[in-house]
Amino acid sequence: MKKKEILCDFLLWILFAILLGLTISFSFLPLLSVNPFQALTVMFSETFSSTYNMGNILIKTAPLILTGLAFTFTYKANLYNIGAQGQFYSGCICASAVSLALGGKLPGPIVILLAGMAAILGGAVVGFIIGFLKAKFNANEFLISMMSTYVIQYVMQLLLRTSLQESKHEYLKTDYLDKSTWLPKIIPGTSVSLGIVISLLVAVLVWYVLYKTSLGFRIRATGLNQDAARMSGISPQHQYMLAFAISGAIAGLAGLVEINGMQHMLLTGFDTQIGSYGIGIAILANAHPLAVVPASLLFGFLQVGGTALGHSTDAPASVIDLLQGFVMLFVLMSFYFRRKAELNKLKKKRIVTEEA
Amino acid sequence: MGKNIIVELKHINKRFAKVLANDDVSMVIKEGEVVALLGENGAGKSTIMKILYGLYHATEGEIFINQKKVEIRSPKEAMACGIAMIQQHFSLVEAHTVTENIILGHCKGKIDFTEKEKEIQALADQYHFDVPAGELVKNLTVGAQQKVEILKALYLNAKIIIMDEPTAVLTPQEADVLMGFVRDYVAKGNSIVFITHKMKEVLEVSDRIIVLRNGKISGTIEEGEIRTVKESELVNLMIGHDLEIIKAPSMTGTDNRKNRLEVEHVSLRSKDNIPLLDNVSFSIKEGEILGFAGVSGNGQQELCEAIYGARKLHAGKVILDGEEISQLAVKERIEKGIGYLASDRYRYGMISGMTLSENILLKASYLKNWVKNGIIKWKELNNYTENIIQEYKVKAPDHEVVIGSLSGGNQQKVVVAREVDRGEKLIIFDQPTRGLDLGAINYVHKTIMREKSKGKSILLVSTELSEIFALSDRIAILYKGKIMGIFQNGELSTEQIGLLMAGYELKEA
Repeated sequence: MKKKEILCDFLLWILFAILLGLTISFSFLPLLSVNPFQALTVMFSETFSSTYNMGNILIKTAPLILTGLAFTFTYKANLYNIGAQGQFYSGCICASAVSLALGGKLPGPIVILLAGMAAILGGAVVGFIIGFLKAKFNANEFLISMMSTYVIQYVMQLLLRTSLQESKHEYLKTDYLDKSTWLPKIIPGTSVSLGIVISLLVAVLVWYVLYKTSLGFRIRATGLNQDAARMSGISPQHQYMLAFAISGAIAGLAGLVEINGMQHMLLTGFDTQIGSYGIGIAILANAHPLAVVPASLLFGFLQVGGTALGHSTDAPASVIDLLQGFVMLFVLMSFYFRRKAELNKLKKKRIVTEEA
Repeated sequence: MGKNIIVELKHINKRFAKVLANDDVSMVIKEGEVVALLGENGAGKSTIMKILYGLYHATEGEIFINQKKVEIRSPKEAMACGIAMIQQHFSLVEAHTVTENIILGHCKGKIDFTEKEKEIQALADQYHFDVPAGELVKNLTVGAQQKVEILKALYLNAKIIIMDEPTAVLTPQEADVLMGFVRDYVAKGNSIVFITHKMKEVLEVSDRIIVLRNGKISGTIEEGEIRTVKESELVNLMIGHDLEIIKAPSMTGTDNRKNRLEVEHVSLRSKDNIPLLDNVSFSIKEGEILGFAGVSGNGQQELCEAIYGARKLHAGKVILDGEEISQLAVKERIEKGIGYLASDRYRYGMISGMTLSENILLKASYLKNWVKNGIIKWKELNNYTENIIQEYKVKAPDHEVVIGSLSGGNQQKVVVAREVDRGEKLIIFDQPTRGLDLGAINYVHKTIMREKSKGKSILLVSTELSEIFALSDRIAILYKGKIMGIFQNGELSTEQIGLLMAGYELKEA
C-alpha cells in the first residue's frame, strides 16, 4: 500500500520530467528554423504510421536494454562501468566470428547458441579484466573501463582488416552471416527479431539475481557498505571482479542481438553510442533492472522519432541527442527535487532520519 | 607564577547533529606552558582544539586572544593569531620536498628555492631537527614528517602549537626527541597544547592537565598539583566516577570446563611497523566472559579483529576448540561459529540502506540458514526477522524498513541479535553499549548473560569499567597492545585496575 504510493509518486515525477525535457528541447527547434508543433506531429505520426516503424523502436530498444543493464549491474556494486561499448564490441566480434565460422556447417539454432555463448564470454572477459585490475591494484575502474573501449575498437579494426574481412577485401566489414544464423523474426511485417525477447528475459534475470540470490545480495551489500561487507566475510575484491564480469557478459550479449539480430555482419564504427546511451538509461531507470526496460523504450522511441524528424524537416540528425540530453537532464533533476521534497515532508513531520 | 593568559575559551558548546561534542567547555592557555588535554577517544579533546584552530565553529561560546574577543573562522585566521595545529594525520604533500611543503601557501611570485631551503634548514637546525630541507616528504620517516609539520608552524611564527596525539605514530626514541622540542619551545615563552589519552607522557611534560569526559571538563590539575597527582585519580577523571562494583557473577564450576578460545603470543603491527598488539596470550573457557578493560585505543579493536580474522597476524596463533584458525578468512571463521559485534556499528556492523531482513542475512550469505542453492529464502528470513523484532523488542514497524531509519539502540538490538545467532561458540562484543540509552544497555547486558549461560564463550571489550565488573568472570587489562594482567573479577580494586590501565605495573604487595 505504502510502496504503491511511493511508486506512483515516483512515476509521476519522472513523467513530468520527461515531458518538461521534451518541451524545452522542442522550444529550441525554432532556432533551427523548424516549427516545433510541426516537428512534434511529424515525430509521432511518422513513428506510429506503420508497424515497420513501430518495430524499429523495438529494434533500437533491444541492445539498449542490455547496455543499460550492464551499467546497472556494476552500479549496484558502487562501481562504474563506462566501457559497456567495448564489451559490446567484444561480444560483436565473438558472435560474428563464431557465426561466420560455423554458419551453414551446423544447424542454425546451435550456431546461434554458440555465438551467444561466445558473445557473453567475450564481454565477460573484458569486464573481468577491468574488475581484476580494480580488485588487485585498486585501479580506477572508471578510467580503465573507458579506455578499454578504445583498445577493443582497434582490435576490431585490426580483425576487420585481416582475418574477419569480407572475401572481396574491399571494405572494413565481414561477409554477411549465413541466413541460418540470423535471429528469427518474431513480428511479421517488421524486422523485430528474437533479440528483444532475449533482452527482456535478461532484464528479469538481472532483477532476479540482484534481489533474490545470495550472489546479488553480496554485490549490493558491497556496493552499499564495503567495510561492513568485508567484516561479514564478503570479499569486496571478489565482488568487484564478479560484478564486472557479469556486467561485461550482459553488454557482450548485446553484441549477439545486434550482429545476429539486426546487422547480420560486423562492420567498423557502428552503434558507437550504444554504451553511453546505456549509462543514460540506467540513470533514467534509477538503476533498477526492470525500470531499464521502459527507459530503453523511451530512448528507442526518441531515436526513431528523431530520425524521422531528421529526414522530414530541416532539423539535423543530432536533434536526437538534444532530445535525449534534455530528457536525461530533467529526470536527474527530478531525482534531486523529489528527494528534497521528501526531506522537507519528513522535516515537517518532525521525524528524525539518520543520515548514514 | 602569574603567567600571562594568551588564549581563553569561554563556555564553548559544539553540536554535531544530535551529538553534543563539547558541553560548556571553558579553559585558558597561558604563556610558556604545556597544557595537556586528556581524555578518551571521543571525549571532545580534538573538537575543542579544532574550534580554536578554526576548523570547526562553536555552536555557542566565545574565544579571547590576549583579552580581545576574536572570531576564528578558518585555519588561516588561526595562524594569523599565532595558533598552529598539527593534526593526527599529517597534511603534507608527499611528492613535494620539505621546503616546498613548508612554504606552501605562504609565498608569492618567483620563488628562490635555494634561498628558502637555506632558511628552512637553519630553522630546523635551530631546534636540532634532523630534517633535510631538500628531501621529498615521502622519503621521510613518520617521525621526520611530524617535524616537518612542526617546522611549518615555526615558519609561521606560531606562538601556540596544538598537537593532536603526537606520540601515537612515533617510536619511543622519536617521542623523546619530540618531548625535548616541547621543552625548548616552551622555554622561549611559547605554549603547547597536547591532546592525548596517554597518561604517562602527560605527566612527563605538562604544566597543567585538563581532563575531558563526554565533552565536558571533568577535572583540571593545576600547576602546583601536578607533581602530587595520582595516576588513578586521572583515570577516574577520564573514565568517570561511576565505578561502584556491581556484584561479580559467581565463577563456580568454570574451572573444569575446557578452553574454547586460546590466543597464543599474538602480535600485530601497523603498516608503519608500530606494534598494535604485542605478544598477547589468553584463553576463554566455555560459558565464560573475559572482559578487556583499558582506555580505548590500546589495541582492543585490533585484538577483536585479529581473532575474527579481519587482520593478519604477524605472529602467534588463534585456536578455537583445539583447532588452529589463524589462517582462516572471516567467512570461514563465521562458519566456525564466531560472532563479532564491532564497536563502529555504522561502518562495520550494518548497512544503513538495507532492510532489517537484509541486515540479518548479512553475515549468513554463505551459510545455509536462509540460502538454498544460491537463492535466498525470503519468506523464512522475513519470518525470522519478525521474530527477532518481537523477541528483542525492536521498535520497528516491520522487517522491510531500512535499518538506518531506526534509532541507535534499536539498530544495535538487531545487530546484537544477528551476532548472537552467528556466534554459536564465541561472541566478541566490542563496546556493545556505547552510545545506547539505559533501556537498551540493560537489554544488551541481559542478552550477554543469557548467551553465557548457554555455554558460549564471550570476549567483552568495554571502556566502561562498571560494565566489565558487572559481566565478566575474569578481567584482562590491555595497555599499548600488551596484556598487563588477567585477574579474577573482584580480585583487584578499581584503583588497581586504573593503574594497570594507565600502564603501571602492580607492585607486589
